[in-house]
Amino acid sequence: MDVLFDGFVEAVWLLFGGDSETWAITALTLRISLTATAVAAVVGVPLGAAVALTLFPGRRVLLAAANTGMGLPPVVVGLFVTVLLWRSGPLGAFGLLYTPAAMVVAQAAIATPVVVALVAVALQQVDPEFMVQMQALGAGRARALLALFGEARLPLLAAAMAAFGAVVSEVGAAQMVGGNIAGETRVLTTAAVLATSRGNFALAIAFGLILLVIAFVVNLVLTLAGQQDPARR
Amino acid sequence: MTMGAAPRIGCRDLRVSARGRELLHVPALDVAAGSALAVLGPNGAGKSTLLRALAHLGGLRRTGDVLLDGRPASSRELRPAVAAVLQRPILRRGTVAANAASGLRLRGVGRAEAGRRAEPWLAALGVAHLARRDARTLSGGEAQRVALARALAVEPRVLLLDEPFAGLDATTRVDLLADLRAVLDGLDAATLLVTHDRHEARALAGETALLVAGRIRQHGPTEVVLDAPSDAECARLVGFTNLFPPAVTGRDTLLAARPEHCRVLVGEPPAGEVGVTGTVRRIVPLGGGTRVDVDTAAGTVACTGPVPAGLGPGRAVVVAVVPAEVRSIPDPARRAELCPEQTDAVHPG
Repeated sequence: MDVLFDGFVEAVWLLFGGDSETWAITALTLRISLTATAVAAVVGVPLGAAVALTLFPGRRVLLAAANTGMGLPPVVVGLFVTVLLWRSGPLGAFGLLYTPAAMVVAQAAIATPVVVALVAVALQQVDPEFMVQMQALGAGRARALLALFGEARLPLLAAAMAAFGAVVSEVGAAQMVGGNIAGETRVLTTAAVLATSRGNFALAIAFGLILLVIAFVVNLVLTLAGQQDPARR
Repeated sequence: MTMGAAPRIGCRDLRVSARGRELLHVPALDVAAGSALAVLGPNGAGKSTLLRALAHLGGLRRTGDVLLDGRPASSRELRPAVAAVLQRPILRRGTVAANAASGLRLRGVGRAEAGRRAEPWLAALGVAHLARRDARTLSGGEAQRVALARALAVEPRVLLLDEPFAGLDATTRVDLLADLRAVLDGLDAATLLVTHDRHEARALAGETALLVAGRIRQHGPTEVVLDAPSDAECARLVGFTNLFPPAVTGRDTLLAARPEHCRVLVGEPPAGEVGVTGTVRRIVPLGGGTRVDVDTAAGTVACTGPVPAGLGPGRAVVVAVVPAEVRSIPDPARRAELCPEQTDAVHPG
């Protein structure tokens, strides 16, 4: 119990004592995970919307693939991205391995299936006649689509939360493609793993607490945004 | 139909098909500003398809022209002119007030102004007191009133109503019909009401078109169309569900009568009345009266008129109708004179 208690005390000290390395790691974690979530949204939202709203060959296969991808082990993604970015690999020429960019690629690959699957579900939950009714009230197609997204905003935000949660908490891919290089690719999860393996539990607990706070704040912001009244928009 | 000004909304040679089958073909249909047309038809006749085709809604395979003010109109021109209320009231998350204003908001009206303009329509449809309620907590009737207020609030030049009373209980329906009639009377919009209920057509529309299997079979003033069906299917549609072929009545033409005008008699019918002999199959007490089903040579005939005392199944009776309540259905050759534009109609299925 002492180890745990001392760990908490030191964690609070590290956080509020202004330890620059801790804050640098936190900033990098946020930058990588938010960028990866944004990339996943840019790729995944149109795909999810297409699966939900249109009929095209392979639609159900795509949805099944996305559903499968929701349970994709980060280590597997890390492995594939590592092989792709390896110096002699197909994308080796870009020299991205062990950079934050590589971590964004890996994390976006983890988050995209989550976004596709949950966006599809979110839009399919709305009445199938919703778009027709909006157009029947005078909305153009784009405006009707916007109204549909407004109507489904709660489950859509849940998709964003799930995607962000998946990437900010994963350690396997970040370790493999980032390499946990101090000051360059060390993020909260990989730093916590390293601190734990060294027996520096206080530091590890500090990183763990910061992760929890980040997850809470991001989800709080999204939840508050989701509780507005869409019909007023 | 007005002769001078062009009809507000209409169509020419409008055809809708799906999977290689033609679902709808309307050579011509017009609704003038300030008037209402009811399109009456059985389930699957293509009523909703016609409504959607007129509004360019729902991605239908459509050919022909939709006319706005007499000129062929594109979707871009139709959107701002038309508001449609669909069968199910599809409301958005949020308050009733926000929903009523949302049609205006979709058209780019500012939030405050949209709210202000929608408010009187909530009052006109009797739901102003629900303005602050969450739309998801409304009953079916309340939700449909809000959906109607939402459509009326945009002050459309063309109002399309797709069976807006379909899911409502009888009392709610009658109340809403009365309120909607009062609202429509004060509007300049051209209104098209799609329904399978002739009472709704009578309550709301000056003109009625009967749509059967994707074709308009009869079109004219509502009182005429509902009272003088042009063929057997139209007769059933407007409530003349008892049909008596010449072989049964000894008359020259097919005769039709409403169940409420058919009386069951024991013995001979009064002189001059149409009488058909048969056997009582069953007697069903209904809320307001009694329905007697009589097996005759013309099939089973339903009678909801007065019932003699002591009647029971198996009893030999006569179904009698006074001449004023019998309609003579013209034969097909004669029908061609009544609806010349529809003579080429081929009815699938």
